[in-house]
Amino acid sequence: MSADPRLRSRAAAQQQQPTAVPPPPPPPPSDPPPMGLDGAADASSAKPENAVDPRSSLRFCTVCASNQNRSMEAHLQLASANLPTISFGTGSLVRLPGPSITQPNVYQFNSTTYRQIHQELSQQNTQLYTANGLLNMLGRNLNIKGFPERFQDWVPGKSRLNDHKDDQGAVGTESGVVDVVITCEERCFDAVLEDLHNKGGKLNRPVHVFNVDIRDNHEEALVGGKAILDLALSLNEAAAKEKAVHGDNGWDRGSGSARDGFDERVPEILATWQGRWPNLPALWSLAWI
Amino acid sequence: MTQMLDQLEAARKLALNDGTHYPKILPGVLPIIGANSNANIELRRWGADFLAEAFASPTWSPEMKEALVLRVAAGAGSALLEALKEYLEVVQDRAVIKSAILTAATIYPMMYKHTIADPNDSHNWQLMQAIKMNILQRMDAAPSGVRICCVKFVQQVVLTQTPGHVDPRRPDPNDISLAILPRNHALLPYGNLEAEGHGLLDRMLDIIHGDHSDALLVTAVLNTLGILLQRRPIASSKILNSVLNFNPLKLANSPMTPKNRVIMKSLERTTRALLFNFMKRNPEGPLTGRIQQYLERMHRMRIDVFDESSRKRPAPAEPTDGLDPAKRQRLRANVPAASAVVPVPAPAPPPATTLPPGPVTYRQLFTLNPDAGIANFDVQTFKDPEQLVMLTVHLLQMIDEAQMTNAINVVRSRYLSLSTTASGAPAASAPAPLPPPVVDDEEDYEPDFEPEDAEQVANSLDSLPPPGTVELPSNSLAPYKLPEAPPLTEQEIRHYGEVSVREAFRMLSSTEDKDKGKTNKTGFNRLAASDYGRDAWITILSRLATRASAGLDDPNEGIKDEFAVKNIKGGVSISDSVRDGLYTYIMYDWRKRIDVAISWLTEEWYNDTILTQSAKIAAKTSNLNGNSASSASGPKGNYERCALRLIDGMLPFVEHTDKILLRFISELPKLDHEILARLIKMSEDPERIDLSCKVLQYLYMFRPPVRSVVVDVLSELWTVNHRARPSAGKLLKHYRPDFAALEEANGTNVGGDGGEVKAEIVNGTAQ
Repeated sequence: MSADPRLRSRAAAQQQQPTAVPPPPPPPPSDPPPMGLDGAADASSAKPENAVDPRSSLRFCTVCASNQNRSMEAHLQLASANLPTISFGTGSLVRLPGPSITQPNVYQFNSTTYRQIHQELSQQNTQLYTANGLLNMLGRNLNIKGFPERFQDWVPGKSRLNDHKDDQGAVGTESGVVDVVITCEERCFDAVLEDLHNKGGKLNRPVHVFNVDIRDNHEEALVGGKAILDLALSLNEAAAKEKAVHGDNGWDRGSGSARDGFDERVPEILATWQGRWPNLPALWSLAWI
Repeated sequence: MTQMLDQLEAARKLALNDGTHYPKILPGVLPIIGANSNANIELRRWGADFLAEAFASPTWSPEMKEALVLRVAAGAGSALLEALKEYLEVVQDRAVIKSAILTAATIYPMMYKHTIADPNDSHNWQLMQAIKMNILQRMDAAPSGVRICCVKFVQQVVLTQTPGHVDPRRPDPNDISLAILPRNHALLPYGNLEAEGHGLLDRMLDIIHGDHSDALLVTAVLNTLGILLQRRPIASSKILNSVLNFNPLKLANSPMTPKNRVIMKSLERTTRALLFNFMKRNPEGPLTGRIQQYLERMHRMRIDVFDESSRKRPAPAEPTDGLDPAKRQRLRANVPAASAVVPVPAPAPPPATTLPPGPVTYRQLFTLNPDAGIANFDVQTFKDPEQLVMLTVHLLQMIDEAQMTNAINVVRSRYLSLSTTASGAPAASAPAPLPPPVVDDEEDYEPDFEPEDAEQVANSLDSLPPPGTVELPSNSLAPYKLPEAPPLTEQEIRHYGEVSVREAFRMLSSTEDKDKGKTNKTGFNRLAASDYGRDAWITILSRLATRASAGLDDPNEGIKDEFAVKNIKGGVSISDSVRDGLYTYIMYDWRKRIDVAISWLTEEWYNDTILTQSAKIAAKTSNLNGNSASSASGPKGNYERCALRLIDGMLPFVEHTDKILLRFISELPKLDHEILARLIKMSEDPERIDLSCKVLQYLYMFRPPVRSVVVDVLSELWTVNHRARPSAGKLLKHYRPDFAALEEANGTNVGGDGGEVKAEIVNGTAQ
């Protein structure tokens, strides 16, 4: 297996998912999930030289409508790459497909756990929900964190040390603050910007909000997750570069790109990224939390 | 050093766990990270981050933060502010500076509040002022990453230094604003702070109208405006006006690089989110309309910019002031053509020989081909005279002689007609048809040649045969009049009238389908026939039937009957055919069209009433004139006739359950014995006795004017119809006090009848 922990974890995640397909028994409730065992999310394991240190990394937040498919896929990929990550949904309720288009399964945010949803759906119709991949998705999600969270209910700056310490990608997000928000749909992007106006920017912290338009199905979510990881790593690299520059190296006397720090380079990074992923139209805005 | 960082990190975790630990931890941490601590860059970065995080944290109350700021500020020798000041002034690390500015943004309102409470603490306020100055100086020169932090700081200052709540009865204790500052504060002059607040707001707003290639800064400003709009209504109109003048697609004119694309889209989205947020909060705001317009315009512009940029070529770069000769004939409508070119004959169309009336220019005189393209041809487009000469020579060779003479003749005849019309004018020999609208300089020399031209033409005229041979065309067109149609015959009039009536009814039935379920209740404000719906057509038709021909009848018709030519013979008047139409229309579905019937009959009644009145007046006058009083009885009304016809038409179809009849009869504008007598007829059907009694009862109760008629009809019914006696008797007992006697008298009369038994029983109980 490759030395890169990111690849290892992804491979593990992909192998692990099919095993969750056999319907009725949900994945074991043991807290350290099988995926955690590969050491990808574990900072104590041996690190290759280019590994990300979650303590000094940018902190990420992925957002989609129901905090189930796209944001969770991205959450998994970012967390597996050792990036501090939290995730949210912007919908009013968690909506999952039901037996027909007019009968969706609807759950409350912040209280219904992925495990409960998994149990309920497998009791309802194991065959159907296995076939459409819902059980598989929920099996993945319950290994990432406890329950879907709603962006509008998030209190930035509120410590996540106690409630979320076992979530994947929790290391580095203890202070409940993020530097980058990545949404998966324009609607969510608008909702995030609007909600940040409502929150009022009380922390006086800048946050880069991105949108990467991903269609809501399993395949696209996987591709979109890779694209988001690509974007996150590019951003993190730029941020690390800025940090590596110590002290007075003449940045306020220089000119051109020489004096550009991380924040200034973001539009460019995004444009380059868009060149690599032309099918995922992107948006960006600097907002305040 | 890493050890120390680990210790600090442990302390931070403790505070993260429980925000109330901050007051204990901060005083301990400050000496390590603060001023004069000789900490290295790592420590300083950590310290700056920690301070920003600590004061921003929502997990401990603002009161505690304020208390701590004071304690740290006063007790520990202003350690906190000193630390920030040093970060800003001494440390040249961008991360540290950013965090320090953001911390200052958080602390500024607290220091402001503290200074209001303690006007003697000028030291700390001066420190804060120094920090503020330092930050404001960076606003313009620093890299954008730092400038966005300055923007945030400025936003906090603006928030603090503009008046807050508009309503003084509902003060918000957590809102730190200019409203809590006393006017006579020793340290904080109200006016200065207010002016500074406004000034800084302007500076922020200037940013969004500046250079858009720095999208970082622009979106940062846009995203700080939300809270200002929300919490400072005083400033909101200024901010909104500025935002509404903001053009997110400003970069559309610069090269469409991937970066610019992303920036433009992002700016547009950010603006949209801001405005949507504002509209959601103030759905009734005075600016909502403008905001919506703005958003729509942006949407369209975005589509234009992004969807068409690939397909559309940019407009070519060229002077737009008309210097391009190729464009010239389009830009100017009235370019004079040199007469030298005119002989170039247009082969196909026969030249127009007439000239427009009024003064005529030479150009018009010589222009034979009215085609605008040729007429506006400017010989000056040939820059090279040689080329022109060559062309002319070739063209002259190719001229058809016949056409040429023809053309010359046309011009001659034109000139002739001109000179004959102008002969009346004084000094006509000097033709000065100066073209006043032409301003071009070439026109200036033309008058010089005019006399010569005129002379030449005159000379050539001499050699012509006498003018009488030339047929002069008329000068102007008379206004065209349609030939008058032959008068219609009586039959035709009737025929077309009927056709149009039929057409109207067809329209009526077609609108009916559309109007289903549509109930517009305009009440008394309704204008009749204004909406072209079913009701409108009904109104039109019923008025057409009643009023159209009203009063046209000869009042003396009755007398002169013998002389009357049979002009009415064989046909009904148009009104009657409309009435027929209405009748069939109603009868087609009379239960549903009772309302039509009512409104029609009401119109009939109204018209009759009006006619009667006018007839009375006419009768008076005619009496004075000594005319015969033949029409004193008034014209024969149509209402009675139509109402009876309708009722007679309906009655056969009325079921005993049809309460609609009750409504119909009761709503008729005028009831008399004849109409109500139809109910007696209806009662011959035993099933419908109850219905007619109900109708009569209703009328008695709700139409007092017809009570006597009703009672008459009832008693008639009682007498005529034995089966109706029980029901009618019951009513009569109430309505007519002397009924009992009558009844007894009758009761003996008609014994042995089937219905009589019942009646007697009823009577028995009544007694």
